[in-house]
Amino acid sequence: MSSNLPAHIHVGADRRLFVLLASFAGVMLLAVLALRLGYRPVTWGDVGRAFIAYDPTFPEQIVIREIRLPRLIAALLVGAGLGIAGALIQGMTRNPLADPGLLGVNAGAAVGVIGASFLFGMTAPGQYVWMALGGGAIGAVAVFALGGGGHASPVRLLLAGAALTAFFLAVIRGLVLMSRQSLETYRFWVLGGLDDVSIGAIAVLWPFFFAGAVCALIAATLIDALALGEEAARGLGVNVAVAKLVAMLAIVQLSASTVALAGPVAFIGLIVPHMARTVMRQDMLWLAPCAGLFGAGLMILADLVGRSAVFGGTMQAGVISALIGGPILILLVFRTGGRRL
Amino acid sequence: MLRAFFLVLVFFVRPVMAQDFPVRIAHAFGTAIIPERPVRVVSLSFIGHDFLLALGVRPVALRKWYGDYPYGVWPWGQEALGEARPTVMQGEIDVEAIAAIKPDLIVGQWSGMTQSDYRLLSQIAPTIAHRAEWGPYGAPWQGMLRTLGAATGRQDRAAAEIACLEARFAELRAGHPDWQGASAAMVWAGSTGAYTSRDIRGRLLRDLGFVVPAAIDARGGVNVTYVRIPPEDLSPIDVDALIWLDAGGAVERLNGLPLRNTMRAYAQGREIYSDLMLSAALSHSSPLSLEYALDRLEPLLEAAMDGDPATVVATSEQAGILSMEAGHEQ
Repeated sequence: MSSNLPAHIHVGADRRLFVLLASFAGVMLLAVLALRLGYRPVTWGDVGRAFIAYDPTFPEQIVIREIRLPRLIAALLVGAGLGIAGALIQGMTRNPLADPGLLGVNAGAAVGVIGASFLFGMTAPGQYVWMALGGGAIGAVAVFALGGGGHASPVRLLLAGAALTAFFLAVIRGLVLMSRQSLETYRFWVLGGLDDVSIGAIAVLWPFFFAGAVCALIAATLIDALALGEEAARGLGVNVAVAKLVAMLAIVQLSASTVALAGPVAFIGLIVPHMARTVMRQDMLWLAPCAGLFGAGLMILADLVGRSAVFGGTMQAGVISALIGGPILILLVFRTGGRRL
Repeated sequence: MLRAFFLVLVFFVRPVMAQDFPVRIAHAFGTAIIPERPVRVVSLSFIGHDFLLALGVRPVALRKWYGDYPYGVWPWGQEALGEARPTVMQGEIDVEAIAAIKPDLIVGQWSGMTQSDYRLLSQIAPTIAHRAEWGPYGAPWQGMLRTLGAATGRQDRAAAEIACLEARFAELRAGHPDWQGASAAMVWAGSTGAYTSRDIRGRLLRDLGFVVPAAIDARGGVNVTYVRIPPEDLSPIDVDALIWLDAGGAVERLNGLPLRNTMRAYAQGREIYSDLMLSAALSHSSPLSLEYALDRLEPLLEAAMDGDPATVVATSEQAGILSMEAGHEQ
């Protein structure tokens, strides 16, 4: 088959495979470092013992097993989920500034969290996970319906997302003003971070991440055709409505479970696809996994920096990801002049 | 009893005198000049209405902090509020609403009032913000009460209240030599954040003779009186008496908090779970709430400070945050 392809595509494919493998190795390296480094100094021996012969009377081993490991898994899921969802939504809407948050998922999930706290007194992430997931899904479905369903134009989708987000935020402000407990929960949650991530919440949510990733891969094959324009895609025999539906399903699952796990984490869904695009070009089937790996790496790095001694061990990963992501985005814009999608 | 004695001292031994107006009060944003004894006082401090009520001043409008009580006044202030029906304000400072009330004094010593808020408010009526050296949320209750006493022409009443409460603190200090110089901290259980010694809660611990650890203070400053504690190292809050403040939702979080069970405070039963009402009383630290707070806190501190997990801290046991071993020993 490769003999039929022009030579430059063949070379490109090899480079992309190399980038993908190198990113995977990079994420693994960061993961090991994330277990080893942090506010409390631990040794490589502690890391080993925490997994082979866990003794919950040693603070070092508790820190590795009960704080760093759940945060690492969560950072992997959240970063990868946001990266993939961001790549999909930017490809689908053909808007380089699109972000999973624009589809009303974050705001919907926020209403879910505040509602859980306000109506049922739920304040632990393990409790309000389902409300966040449901709220995010309702937000996305409402945006999709307002945006014109299967025949939605990208602009109309984004407008519907913006309108619904504004409405949800008004509801949140109202609820937060009425209840201090809700305010406490919200104030902390809205920054986006992994501070109170528990294995329980991860256990509930990982199937959604997995299903979202599978949907994303299916959608990726369809979105490449959409990028040619809807008429051309129809000409190629792609059912445009089905393509959009699968892509939406992937985006909603990934971003709603992300928001449920870590709150609205800024920037990763926006910038990671741009970083991936500099090496992967437009091919969504390559772009989505690459964005997933870049996102996972960036999120692990953000959490690692956030809980380091530099920030007193207490900075939220969502804040750091924006601090790292902002300059990267500016750099990309200057270098490429805003690459066309 | 002691309180009554001091009040008698003030009102009968020394006749009440009309204090001299105008009164000038300097604060972070300028000087408030109050021409005559105010009758329409708007309170913007989240806890300030308690202080005014303690002086017998019923504000025409007050700022609700939290809790589901009529007019935003917690139970310890309801008697002093009496039949008054103040306007209840919530959320951000609404200058227009305040102007409509036509106040003759605006007080906000614990309100987070900004310079630009002050610029507008001071055109409506004489306005008292926090003092620069205390910061927006770092004023001692004595200082706030004294200022309000001067501003409302009730200096003597303020002095009497302060003397009365300080006598109670002195009595508590004298009765508990083991508290003197011991370490203590008040920690918000919802996100593991401690209050520094400048905070009103840290000051209360100091008034009892305790010391807030330098490791907590080092993370704060004049304007930062609440500091988060890194989850990987709880040693700053591993103190002789650890008071977990909560609005009722953090018990599950406390029980799942990694490293908590490696703390000496946990092993020796030195943790005090402070429920909604006690936490609010400590956080208000007003002349009205302190009596209630101290009544409840004294036995809890005694049970915690003996360092023996067998003498359980009642509130911690009720909340269910004690270790299994302590439970079995019961």
